[in-house]
Amino acid sequence: MRSRTERLELIWHERPGLLGWLTTVDHKRIGLLYFFTTLVFFGAGGVEALLIRTQLAGPNGTVLSPEAFDQVMTMHGVTMIFLFIIPMTTGAFGNYLLPLMIGARDMAFPRLNALSYWLFLGSGVFLYAGLLMRKGPDCGWFCYTPLNTKEYDPGLNADFYALGLIFNSMSTTAGALNFIVTIFKLRAPGMSFNRMPLFVFAMLAVSFSLIFALPPLTTDLVFLELQRKVGFHFFDVVHGGDALLWQHLFWLFGHPEVYIIILPAMGIATSIIPTFAKRKMVAFPLVALAELLVAFIGFGVWGHHMFATGLSIGTLVFFAAASMMVVIPSTIQIYAWLFTVNLGRPEFRAPLLFIGGFIALFVIGGLSGIMFAAIPFDQATTDTYFVVAHFHFIIFGAAVFPILGGMYYWFPKVTGHMYHERSAQASFWVTFVGTLLTFFPMHIVGLLGMTRRVYTYHAGFGWDAYNLSETIGAFILAAGLLMIFANLLWSRFRGPPSGPDPFFGGTLEWTTASPPPPYNFPVIPTVTSPYPNWDRAQGELVLDLDHGHETPATTVRDGHLDEILKMPSESGWPIVLALAVTVLFIMLLTAHFVVAGIFAGVAGCVLVAWHVHEPAEA
Amino acid sequence: MSSVPYTQRVAKPNGWWGMVVFVATEATLFGTLIGSYYDLRFKTPRWPPTGVPDPKLAMPLILLGVLVSTSVPVQLASVFARAGRTGATQLSLLVALVVQSGYLAMQIHLYVDDLHRFSPQQSAYASIYFTLVGAHHAHVLVGVLLEAWLLLRLFGGNTAYRAVGVQGAAFYWHAVNALAVAVTLVQLSPSL
Amino acid sequence: MRRLRPELLQWYGLFGAALAWSAQQVVGFGVAYADCTAASRRWGLDVVTWEIVLMVVGLTFALLAELAAVNVLLATHRLDYDDPPPQGRRHFFAYAAALGNLLFITAILLNGVGALSNATCRPA
Repeated sequence: MRSRTERLELIWHERPGLLGWLTTVDHKRIGLLYFFTTLVFFGAGGVEALLIRTQLAGPNGTVLSPEAFDQVMTMHGVTMIFLFIIPMTTGAFGNYLLPLMIGARDMAFPRLNALSYWLFLGSGVFLYAGLLMRKGPDCGWFCYTPLNTKEYDPGLNADFYALGLIFNSMSTTAGALNFIVTIFKLRAPGMSFNRMPLFVFAMLAVSFSLIFALPPLTTDLVFLELQRKVGFHFFDVVHGGDALLWQHLFWLFGHPEVYIIILPAMGIATSIIPTFAKRKMVAFPLVALAELLVAFIGFGVWGHHMFATGLSIGTLVFFAAASMMVVIPSTIQIYAWLFTVNLGRPEFRAPLLFIGGFIALFVIGGLSGIMFAAIPFDQATTDTYFVVAHFHFIIFGAAVFPILGGMYYWFPKVTGHMYHERSAQASFWVTFVGTLLTFFPMHIVGLLGMTRRVYTYHAGFGWDAYNLSETIGAFILAAGLLMIFANLLWSRFRGPPSGPDPFFGGTLEWTTASPPPPYNFPVIPTVTSPYPNWDRAQGELVLDLDHGHETPATTVRDGHLDEILKMPSESGWPIVLALAVTVLFIMLLTAHFVVAGIFAGVAGCVLVAWHVHEPAEA
Repeated sequence: MSSVPYTQRVAKPNGWWGMVVFVATEATLFGTLIGSYYDLRFKTPRWPPTGVPDPKLAMPLILLGVLVSTSVPVQLASVFARAGRTGATQLSLLVALVVQSGYLAMQIHLYVDDLHRFSPQQSAYASIYFTLVGAHHAHVLVGVLLEAWLLLRLFGGNTAYRAVGVQGAAFYWHAVNALAVAVTLVQLSPSL
Repeated sequence: MRRLRPELLQWYGLFGAALAWSAQQVVGFGVAYADCTAASRRWGLDVVTWEIVLMVVGLTFALLAELAAVNVLLATHRLDYDDPPPQGRRHFFAYAAALGNLLFITAILLNGVGALSNATCRPA
């Protein structure tokens, strides 16, 4: 007579070894696949950054030729945004933690989840194949018209860019869809909308943003490829096209994208702060709504990237107004975080230090950002290093710092070992100082007139000392990051056992073992608050669900138990489909349209085969 | 041939929600295509440009009516699938499939005809026209393939999984039909 | 209908002002944009009238949403934000929306004032 955990283990375990990883549908293993893959891309993007900084350390640099610089600079941006930060926050953190935080045993569509990962990997390899062939994207991460047209960029570079990003967006869209349905339907009984953890609100906001932000980018890129490869006319004025159409569509995507970048980081911050302040988040409903508001209002500000394009003032005021408004929800959150820490009994361990650094850097970056809402100021500083300073304070300071803090915070949960506290705190200080030294001087050198995306500059403008200190800062920053990874690597093998709940966290992931078993929870919890580990429920409903591959579904608004879902087991179809799609994109790149069509058909057949196997009946 | 009635859930099934979110992305895509159409139109004094005929009204509007009417059999299919009536589901899907395939064949014929009269390589008008209309036809094709797949699958009997598939497909078709109205009106707007 | 009312009020209170601002942002921008192109002469666009109407209509819908949110908030004021649904959930959303809607009302005003003060077609 097997015990409940033995039965669950048998039902939920997947096959061992490499084949297990290739066919996994377990959200935790997919989260780990994403984590390690995005770290590799983070390294690549980091090397690109150090190359840029080395080239710009002094005037008349000769480390990179102009062509090489263009590709390294473009790939730095593309890698960090599309191949590191979004997949890390949504694919790694989101995938691993979301089902655990809502009390589910997996995501709503486990096989689709696997497909998102394999498509992501395919798109990353596709983009880097271009760079390695010295035909990498070279038009800047936003690749404006007319620079991206066949006349000015005749090689495959812009085609790698366009097709690579369409490919990547398929992965991200699938992931966002999965998150939304999971959050709507798979929450534990009792977890109504007002009892969802703040991390979950952040993931909901990010997922909706992705759903609405990615299509404008897709449209833009499809127009570009049709123009480049088939001779259509969308952006060229001679045949009735509009050069600004590229920018409108791009920034309709691009601005929500930057909120997509920051929202999960806010979600991580709102998870770490209550734990280490030992206090629930102040003004919880306001913080939850602020996360949704930032995403929503962010769709209305895209024109502030076009203040210097000659559009009429009557159109641009809409964006100036919205850009001022969008700051307010973020400010509400900052005040809530600070009040929570102040009113609690804070313990400044490494994760909270990273959040402290995040708040400081976010405030600086946010202040430089709000300055751009004033059209005259924006027109004076467009395309200077002042903009580069702003977005690196936000992207690195405000999006990456919570990721680093989150790595320490959830490390015990994922590995079952504790990280080394003293060197973790030291790694924070080195990284923080490195960040300030790298990005702060960029404000000054930008105001002194240094433009963006230049591969070198002449002496005598007064920029030299600032650039040198930025380069030194970049290497210090790299050292700080290496310290973090060394700590985590060492602790994975030598760290003391952490137990299920080393920090007394409030959310559900801390109620199960470290690392969690394949079935997450031996018993599905019933929830009565967003901090279920602090407010233990005495619910009448106890769901074992230990006789099949099952997890409960609840109603959308109020979390009442609605049905028992049958979940699919491991499958080879997701990776096969991703391979077919990769070949499809290679055929499109090389203009073999008929073969591309054949592979689209192959992909269709794989989808059919995939759906032949249905999860067993209730 | 089993006739399994569908579980007594209150909320909409996961597969339906998944289709809703997918439709949200596709609808946004069409929104950007239509927005691009008007951006290009505002910039151009003559729309269509000289040498390109104004869109004809009659045939597209008739075809639109035919397509939108298939929402009826498609919705019936969804209701029958929920009730576990396999045969009725398949019949409704077949009716919808035949009409939609006929619509698509006619539209492809008209599309190719248009390509002979004016080329996307000549003007932005033609480029956005063929892209917008082409995107719509591609979505109709996907819907037809989805329906054909479900029709075949149902020969193995109705299951809760397949019933959710039919519900999802019905939602997809209602969305495609709504988008067809938008696309047709936009594409015909120079002649309206 | 009586059981449905607090529910409808809560959702309108949450989304009404946001949708009003969105409509003004898209249509207001679109009209101002079209005004500076070849299209406006052909279609006889009157930007000033459009922007006034958009602002007034937008403000009306947004203020009604705020009233709805405050109404639900007052009806549930004894509750905590994590109390059992549906009342607890309505309190949560009404509390958040009552403050959030002020943001949209301000944005609609700013849009209207900005558009009306700059209703000529000159570059920024």
